Amino acid sequence: MRRLLTLLLILSLVAPARPASQAVVLVVGADSPAIEMDSVSVRKLFLGVPVLVNGKPLHPLRNRSDPLLDEIFFQQIVAMSQSSYDRQILIGVNRQGWLRPEEYSRVEDVVAALNADPNAVSYMWQRDVGHNPKIRVIRVVWSD
Amino acid sequence: MERLVNSLRVRLIGVVLVILAALVPPLYLGVSAIVREGYAERFVNSLRVYSRLMADELEALEEQDLDRRAVALLDSAVLSGQVLFAEIRDGTRVLHSSIATAPIRVPAQDDFYLGDHNDQVYFITHTVNRGDHSMTLRLGFDEVPTRESIAAAERRVLMAMGIFVAASIAVAVWLSAVIARPMVRLQLAAQRVAGGDTHTQLRVYSSIREVQELNYHLEHMRRELVGANERLSREIREREVSEEKRLDLERRLLHRERIATIGTLAGGVAHEFNNIMTPILLYSQLAAEEVPAEDALADYLRRVIAAAHRARSLVMRILTFSRGMDSQQPTVFPLRVPVEEALALLREIVPTNIEIVLAAPDQTLPVRGDASLVHQVVINLCTNAYEAMRQSGGRLTVTLGTIENPPESQVRPGCYHVLEVSDTGHGIDPLVLAHVFEPFFTTREVGEGTGLGLSVVHGIVSSMGGVITVRSTVGSGTTFSVYLPAATRQLQEAAAAASTGA
Repeated sequence: MRRLLTLLLILSLVAPARPASQAVVLVVGADSPAIEMDSVSVRKLFLGVPVLVNGKPLHPLRNRSDPLLDEIFFQQIVAMSQSSYDRQILIGVNRQGWLRPEEYSRVEDVVAALNADPNAVSYMWQRDVGHNPKIRVIRVVWSD
Repeated sequence: MERLVNSLRVRLIGVVLVILAALVPPLYLGVSAIVREGYAERFVNSLRVYSRLMADELEALEEQDLDRRAVALLDSAVLSGQVLFAEIRDGTRVLHSSIATAPIRVPAQDDFYLGDHNDQVYFITHTVNRGDHSMTLRLGFDEVPTRESIAAAERRVLMAMGIFVAASIAVAVWLSAVIARPMVRLQLAAQRVAGGDTHTQLRVYSSIREVQELNYHLEHMRRELVGANERLSREIREREVSEEKRLDLERRLLHRERIATIGTLAGGVAHEFNNIMTPILLYSQLAAEEVPAEDALADYLRRVIAAAHRARSLVMRILTFSRGMDSQQPTVFPLRVPVEEALALLREIVPTNIEIVLAAPDQTLPVRGDASLVHQVVINLCTNAYEAMRQSGGRLTVTLGTIENPPESQVRPGCYHVLEVSDTGHGIDPLVLAHVFEPFFTTREVGEGTGLGLSVVHGIVSSMGGVITVRSTVGSGTTFSVYLPAATRQLQEAAAAASTGA
């Protein structure tokens, strides 16, 4: 019995710790007029389709600071494969004249852009939002 | 082994195999990766769209009778045949499809790639916002059909690669045969040419331009070689002939020099001897006049005088030989005349068992020289022929004719009148034949011949600018041929001068 307890203790130490629960959230600047968005609007926004709030178009910002965040973006937000997304964006830009979402490779840049543009919308890890008063979460995109 | 490795066909096939070995594996891996990614992309795209629609549908469901409607939605997903796991979590509440599914292991995390977590099920979770609270929709999609499709596609790619490799090798073998066959034929033909068969044409039919050009140049080289060989052979033959002529001329020159030396020596001796003989003959004749005819001494003196005459005759013949027979002023005369005169004389003294035949054309056959010397030549030659047939009898043939550029090497090119004396006697031994024209050479018994007959003939012919040759076969007979330069032009000139003078 003692041996079994020792083995379990060792296994619990050696086994990789299960990561803490994490979530991806949709965020806007503190001054943004956007309050709430359903999943279809979010998808439209990041596929380049103009989405208006109070008569002004929202500006989608892609957060490419984390590869996993990219996968979650394709799977949860736009709900398609990367190649399909690229194709759709190209079609929208070339045929409809829609705008391609701006891309940022650092979280700090995303936050700065959100603060600078009240109509900007982006997504990031919940932990990156923290208690930043300049950012507002408007929707949970995905949670583990 | 080295010969095999160096052969063109093996090299070509080897190069193709090396290229295939270098290209086919990465090509197969690349095509397989493209196939896998294509299938995976389609699979992931379709399930993401499908699950998103499910989540949107769930988000839009009315609150009334929500559980029943949610389970119906899950049943619809399971009935699609692609969903192996469907679950809705709302706080502590968990809703499952009412349709029983096979138990599967459900991992804690979502999948983002085909084959993630290696469990053959692609799990995806959507957060569904329903006003004041959120729910999670979790679906598990069957990866097996897509994986089987990928495996089947990879097998097809592998099969296509195999067919490509086999076709490439077959084409390489065929191509190497097409290229190598004419080369091998050229090689065999070149070997035959190198072996001496230079008349075998290097002719290979090939559609390859380079092979055609190689064939053309080799054939050109062969023809050049054949031409060079023929030129070389001709030159060698000419050199051999000229060398033979040179040796013969050298031999003849030595012979002439020898004869001339002997002739000079003999002439000197004969001259001195003639001076000695003159008083002997003179005083013997004076003495004979003083002695009565019936006296025995007179008989002795007559014998001395006769011997002195014979000795003087001999001396005169020696002098004739040594002086080159130029005592008379040369004239142009018909060759036939002295020949016929000599034969008429000979018919009187030759026994009847020897037939004398003259074969002569109607032409005059003019030659330049002394007719009496030609008469002596005929007498000497015919006497020798008669001597050769004295015991057995036979035919003595004298032939006259004309010949342009005689084949005998010692005769210079030109027009000659020929006097041939042939007999059917015992012939002359080859060892003897080489010396017959030398002075004092004789095969007769001592006292029967002086060995000067043929050397005198030789001297006479030479003094007339002619050549005498002899050919003989032991047991069959001998033929002496005398080539005298034709004097047709001189005869015409003499005739013209005579008519002008008249």
